[in-house]
Amino acid sequence: MKPGADGRDAMVGVGLRSVHFPRLLDRPRTPVRWFEAISENYMDSAGRPLEVLKKIREDKPVALHGVSLSIGGVEGPRPGYLAKLKALIGKIEPILVTDHLCFTGAHATNIHDLLPLPYTEEAIRVVISNVTKVQDFLGRPIALENVSSYLTYNDSEMKEEEFLVAIAKRSGCKILLDVNNVYVSATNHGFKAEDYVDAIPSEFIAQLHLGGYSDMGKFLFDTHSRAPTDPVWELYRRVIKRIPEVPVLIEWDEAVPDWDGLEAEAVKAIRIAKEAHAVAS
Amino acid sequence: MPSRLKEIQKGFVDSAFGGITAAFTSSVTGGGKLTPAEAINVYREGYPARISEALGETFEACWRVLGDEDFLEACKIYSRATPSVSHNLSDYGGSFPEFLHKRFKKQAPFIKDLADLEWSFKEVFHAEVGAVLPPSDLAVAVNDKSVLVFSSAVRLLHLNHSVHAVWKRDRNDASPLIPSDWEGPQQVLLYRSGGTPVFSFVLAAPEASTLQALLAGRSVSEALAASKGLNEAAARTLFSFIASSALITEVR
Repeated sequence: MKPGADGRDAMVGVGLRSVHFPRLLDRPRTPVRWFEAISENYMDSAGRPLEVLKKIREDKPVALHGVSLSIGGVEGPRPGYLAKLKALIGKIEPILVTDHLCFTGAHATNIHDLLPLPYTEEAIRVVISNVTKVQDFLGRPIALENVSSYLTYNDSEMKEEEFLVAIAKRSGCKILLDVNNVYVSATNHGFKAEDYVDAIPSEFIAQLHLGGYSDMGKFLFDTHSRAPTDPVWELYRRVIKRIPEVPVLIEWDEAVPDWDGLEAEAVKAIRIAKEAHAVAS
Repeated sequence: MPSRLKEIQKGFVDSAFGGITAAFTSSVTGGGKLTPAEAINVYREGYPARISEALGETFEACWRVLGDEDFLEACKIYSRATPSVSHNLSDYGGSFPEFLHKRFKKQAPFIKDLADLEWSFKEVFHAEVGAVLPPSDLAVAVNDKSVLVFSSAVRLLHLNHSVHAVWKRDRNDASPLIPSDWEGPQQVLLYRSGGTPVFSFVLAAPEASTLQALLAGRSVSEALAASKGLNEAAARTLFSFIASSALITEVR
């Protein structure tokens, strides 16, 4: 169903942050149609965060978004991680399970960062092997997000978007296309963001992310500390035009605004999706 | 054939903990206007920053007591010396109270107790309460020989310093702490019921010794016998508190 065609808006959600828990537990009327929860914040907690997430799940769809799967790590996912994730999936019944196309360190030393992979055939084989293990264990497909990066490897044999698409094609996983990350990496590494998003086949895209970066002078830094910038909105307009049904997320992790401020960005994403669809049809 | 990917990943991890090697630097191109070394440094500096943020969330009162400079410097040194092995940043810092003690015992003799209190608070916050028994069921089920099974969201701390008030102190209160603010041992109970925040209470020694015996699996009569000076009225108050606070999951 295309946004507007059924009288419903685009499926725009927001990242669930604890600062908004009190407001959300009041069940406000909101155009926000779903929430994304950071998996690791709930996998090891049986306390209040999980209680709140379950309450919210009673009313709205929830996607689980991980930051520590380390799908590109040569050691594979950390022992015990998948069992905890599967248990959480059982409790929440998410609409999507996602993580990042990166590695996060080693088993003995987790750096807790989304470290970029070299775009090589060897890395593709490692990721596919790990994705297969993960999807078999969870019994469901996952989607992997393109990360922002501040360096590239001289070993890389292909463009990032070719790497991403090859993994989706050969592993059966989906793509969480972070439009902000495309823009950040494109600016940092000097490629055209439009070419990147155009190269991702629509059928692989399971979700879109929108966030804000910080301009550090020498490079763009993916801080998620502000609203998406105009170039990111324009890139989003370009993508949403051809995939109107895909869930869209406003991601905000630092200097998180109050609920009204966050909701305003969701409303903007809905409006742009409507405009893009109107032009497309 | 040796794995090039493994080599690259090792180079990245090593750069976060040790120095940035020439081999790793020569294998990358910096983004934007960054040199390769500067680009690697973006990630290298990000690691202690994330660790410090996580430690700052868990040990908020220690941060307030020590001040930005000392606390953040301690976080940075600790993060390089103590790799995170968990997928969850909230799990990080189990040995941080001892580390703070070694570093700041002269400046803040109570710092380990304060850090232990904050770490326990975090554990209770995330602990599963489970199905607790209502007071009416407890009243029927409990006798002298009963053993009470407590929810996993209950902690009784025996601290060497009186840090509860320091922990609860208004974050805008900038007046210096003096020894009378923390001197003397203290027993603090932390607990949470389903859907509630974490509660904290300072217990007198007789109540704490009785509760400790109960938590250790002693029967009601054994716990009362082990108590140090708990009179009848105080015992009644203690058991009434236990019953009404939804702390018990089972009576054996």
